Amino acid sequence: MSEKKGLMRFLAEYDRRIIYLLIFVVVIGPLLSPFILPISVSPDTQAYYNVIDKLGPNDIVMVVFDTEFSGFMELQSGILASMRVMIEKGAKMVIAVSHPEATGIPELVLNQLADVISRKQYTYGKDYVYLGYIFPNEAAVAATAQDFHGAVRQDYYGKSIEGTLLDKVKDWSSWSLISDYTTGIQSQALINHYGLRGTPMIVNCIGVMVATQKPYVSSGIYKALLQSMRGGAELEYLIGVPGPGLTAMNSFTLGHYVLIIFIVLGNIGYFGYTRYKQKPTGG
Amino acid sequence: MSAFFRSKEIQLAILILSFLAVFIPYFLNIPSDHPLNVFSTKLILIAGITNAFTLALAVYSQFRRGLSFVRRRARGYIFKIYMMTAIILMLIFWTMGETTGPYHWVMYAIITPLSSVNYSILVFYMASTGARAFRARNAKALLLLITGFVVLLYQAPLTGAIFPAINPLGLYFGNTFAMAAGRMFLISVTVGAIVFGVRVLMGKETQVLGFGSEKE
Amino acid sequence: MGASLFGIPGIASGKSLGLLLDILIVLIVIYYIRSGKKLFIRRVSGLDAIEEAVGRAAEMGKPVVCSFGIAWNGFDYWTMAGLAIMAHVARLSAKTGTRLIVPTGGSTASMIVRPVAEEIVRTALMLEGREDEFNPNDLPFMSDQQYAYTGGYIGILQRTKPAAVIMTGSHASEAMNIAETSNAIGAITITSGSYISNVAALACASDYILIGEEAPAASAYLSDDPGLRSSIRCQDIFKWISIALLVLGLITFNAGSDFFLRLLSS
Repeated sequence: MSEKKGLMRFLAEYDRRIIYLLIFVVVIGPLLSPFILPISVSPDTQAYYNVIDKLGPNDIVMVVFDTEFSGFMELQSGILASMRVMIEKGAKMVIAVSHPEATGIPELVLNQLADVISRKQYTYGKDYVYLGYIFPNEAAVAATAQDFHGAVRQDYYGKSIEGTLLDKVKDWSSWSLISDYTTGIQSQALINHYGLRGTPMIVNCIGVMVATQKPYVSSGIYKALLQSMRGGAELEYLIGVPGPGLTAMNSFTLGHYVLIIFIVLGNIGYFGYTRYKQKPTGG
Repeated sequence: MSAFFRSKEIQLAILILSFLAVFIPYFLNIPSDHPLNVFSTKLILIAGITNAFTLALAVYSQFRRGLSFVRRRARGYIFKIYMMTAIILMLIFWTMGETTGPYHWVMYAIITPLSSVNYSILVFYMASTGARAFRARNAKALLLLITGFVVLLYQAPLTGAIFPAINPLGLYFGNTFAMAAGRMFLISVTVGAIVFGVRVLMGKETQVLGFGSEKE
Repeated sequence: MGASLFGIPGIASGKSLGLLLDILIVLIVIYYIRSGKKLFIRRVSGLDAIEEAVGRAAEMGKPVVCSFGIAWNGFDYWTMAGLAIMAHVARLSAKTGTRLIVPTGGSTASMIVRPVAEEIVRTALMLEGREDEFNPNDLPFMSDQQYAYTGGYIGILQRTKPAAVIMTGSHASEAMNIAETSNAIGAITITSGSYISNVAALACASDYILIGEEAPAASAYLSDDPGLRSSIRCQDIFKWISIALLVLGLITFNAGSDFFLRLLSS
């Protein structure tokens, strides 16, 4: 009897470091020894794919790395897969970042997309431009929406943007699409000064932001939403190019299952010990 | 002169002027080369430049404080030496160029891995909090637990591949309950922010504008 | 989105209703502030708990840790709302002689906000005649890097074992690490879900949480000025307008009319 009580007490009051340890094991395990688990594609990812699949050589897309490097890890799969599609379709890209730490990210991404860049002869200046850290705050976003060339004159490398594809860009109305990869730094500012004015937007956000970003999809401001790393993995699956997302999905799946097991065990402990302990005695 | 610029009236006047310069072009149907738009863009740029100068001042102030720590050999002064050395080194590296060289290397080889690792630690805290918070203490908590359970199962991609029936259920929770809550937050937060903004423009938020001492 | 129901000449397409609502909200706030009416305001448990938390810290002789966020965008409204709550905590701490620790940093723009926070704490002590007790080291600047700041913050919590942790303003993902550590050391944890994506997770990890508009309303709620307090009523009016639009829109849309869709697109 006391053994059972001891077990219940353990389930109710276990040390949180046990969770840390098990989560660590199930995350690291599949990464060290990969195996393949099937995944399903959500309608949100399909809608996102449909938007980028319709892009063509006449479209100019503003790609915003609205993340610091830490968030990039969660968004990386969606970034790589969607930018691959944009390059395949020949859409023009203007890349901007909204965090000083993110200035290194575009080059990292472009290096990983070197195969498709060289195959499509996607050239700097004509097909894409990297502007660097141009969105430090909402004021800067507002300025680029009102008069782009009044606010930005040079690219990340200090060269003038005159004579590049940006000659066609005047203000918010010049963009075919804004593709925001976000942890929430300037996403609201982009909505305020671009989305609400009518510039089409799509977003790839981190997991915790999904519930708060969905209303923008139903209101039509976002044309589509790609959910975190899972959405990225689904996009990789759709385009048939496996990448970091699909690799991470095993850890992702197992992590969720471990959490579910802990919730079940915790509730068993709650009914077997905590609640029993809390019951008033005597009368 | 500095007292004039630090007066409440002048600060509020600048605040209101800046607000109007952004607010009016946003609502009015005017072309981007209209003088009002040009003025607005210039003002935004001036704000950005002023911000940059303020940052430079803030770095200078940190440096001075660090020096004071070191001179007094106050507790933790070693860390201040480390900080000042890092600031000087980064400034030197920065002059060599941001896109290549040591500055680039520090960002790639030091900042980014540290930042990523710290972010990923979040998963442990989230898991621990989630595991402790979901307890069927009463009927409402039980409903939350069941919903959370379904959403967690749906979020694991394997579940949807094995039991496709979980997908519409998970989507239903996300697209109705979660979205309704998300909308509620957006509406209430936006209204709260506008009311707060009006109070600031009226000079009523004395403490955050730095007038706390004048109040009493 | 449906076609606009109406348009005001000269106003950008789809912004007429927004402009009218903005003007209305400004007029109502001005009206309430000028009127100075004493209106009933519901209790906000998160804000009421601050007093209890600081009192508990004073009794236990332990410090209070209060932060105004990482100020991503400098002085945005969340940061200002966070500073307003911090000012209240600073006054309570100064009154009770409780040590207040304010970890600062987390973003480049936070360096701009920090001097104001310092001034607020100094002023609070000055108003209680304790200016000589001001210690700038109790407002440590961790780093302009978000997670270096988080590490520093958690370190402070582990070392000083505060009785209360009050986390307001624009905290982002790091809020979870801090709230969970605060919970682990047994401190009363009061947070505000400014980064609305955090709310669900913070609600699990905190003892009290300020949700939605409660944080921006805090300075008015905590103020003695009846006019300022009554300005909160404006938020209720607009929430009622939103609810009315939602319900009417739901009914009419299902009845086949796109009137409200067109109205909101105006």
